[in-house]
Amino acid sequence: MTIGLQIAWMISLPVVMILLVAVVFTGISLKVTARIDRRYGPPIYQPVIDLVKLVSLKTNVSHGVIFDWGLLVAIAGSSVALLMIPMGGIHPLSGSGDLLVILYLMIFASVGLGLSAGASENPNASMGVSRKLMLGLGYEVPFILILLAMMTYHHTTSLVALVAAQRATGVLGALRFPLSAVAAILIMPALQGVRPFDFVTAPQEVASGPMVELGGKYLALMVIEQSLHTAVILSLMVDLFFGGATNLGIFILKMTGLFLFGVLVNAVYPRFRVEQALRYCWRWPTWFALGGLIMAMVTKGG
Amino acid sequence: MREHKRAKMWTTHPYKWGQKYSLWPIHFCTGCGAIEIPPTMLAPYDASRFGMGPMASPRQANLLLLTGYLTRKTLKYVIRTYEQMLTPRYVISFGSCPIDGGLYYTSYNTINHLEWYLPVDVWIAGCMPRPEAFLMGVNRLMEEIENGTADGYKRYEENIDYYRRNQERTLGKKFLEELKQVEWLT
Repeated sequence: MTIGLQIAWMISLPVVMILLVAVVFTGISLKVTARIDRRYGPPIYQPVIDLVKLVSLKTNVSHGVIFDWGLLVAIAGSSVALLMIPMGGIHPLSGSGDLLVILYLMIFASVGLGLSAGASENPNASMGVSRKLMLGLGYEVPFILILLAMMTYHHTTSLVALVAAQRATGVLGALRFPLSAVAAILIMPALQGVRPFDFVTAPQEVASGPMVELGGKYLALMVIEQSLHTAVILSLMVDLFFGGATNLGIFILKMTGLFLFGVLVNAVYPRFRVEQALRYCWRWPTWFALGGLIMAMVTKGG
Repeated sequence: MREHKRAKMWTTHPYKWGQKYSLWPIHFCTGCGAIEIPPTMLAPYDASRFGMGPMASPRQANLLLLTGYLTRKTLKYVIRTYEQMLTPRYVISFGSCPIDGGLYYTSYNTINHLEWYLPVDVWIAGCMPRPEAFLMGVNRLMEEIENGTADGYKRYEENIDYYRRNQERTLGKKFLEELKQVEWLT
């Protein structure tokens, strides 16, 4: 990959992913959720209308410098994490050890949101951030065990090498690490922050949590951050368990499949309380992930 | 056909298009009208066809739904909520009570004329209006947004002295001083 092409992808890939998740995926999810509720639902381009509305508002309330920059830090963290992940043969930033960097950058985005929410001085925002960190505490344990299993088996911390290994042997990650894959599917809604794990942004409990003081252009920025985060989670899962793809189209198709799974779970299940979510995350997904790690250690080649 | 019309407006007035088809209401459910909101939003009448989705915080919302009577106590919070919303903001008043006091017009504690304290864009009469009436009101508001006649927020800014005078008369000087103390309000 030449330097020019690399820079072009570095700029265009986050934009493509924002448009894909914030417009296409969200529109599909609104319609699918409506049909599950036996409603007609909004038009499929409703997210575009909403974004235009948010940008067109005449007043925007800021709560200081940290309030503005926290959001931008979160967006930057998620964008860089996105560039680290190989997507259908495109990987502008990845080198060796990128799996560890992604783990770090995913927390970096939460920290940015936390800064922004703290500067807004709204008690609901603080509660939302504390709930977000608690949820992180819940899903990080099985998530790190899953990644450890893969790193141990393949003797690498590079995501590119993990995808290449799946393509070379022809065995998908989900088949080679079945227990880890089950654990990953179980914590997917928690990673995405959808129901039953949406107590972070619960409108009825904490008035949408970290987003409570965001309106207009700030809310549009938040939509961008959330769609980048969703894109990071989906593409990471596609790379780890479903073998990546040779081109971007097939990669996006696989992402769509995973996203629809999240939409269906979101439409059907009610919301967990914080302690229920922690109990869930530390019970079944952790046991499955631990089993997957032991299996990987036993079966790995010397 | 209607879908086609909705998509076509994007080419002529994109900002009006956004504000017309993306009304995010925040409910101020103090009165009996609150019971009409769930069937309107959920499967029986499905307000999301018009691009409406309930919001939790006044910063995110651009439509204030006042469902029923307002007392002196609740009016304070309605005014605070309204001033925290971002412009352009719209108000739909639901039921007879905010119009003229309705059933409670002799009560010492109920606000008889909401128009004195806040600019209202659409009134829906009835005790209580059914969800159909509510959706008609929303459609009326959409037409007004398209025509540019839904200018309640502009009236509030232009006639702020009038509204402040009425607010002071009913709620007392202390309320206005409290409003001034909260700098982040507007």
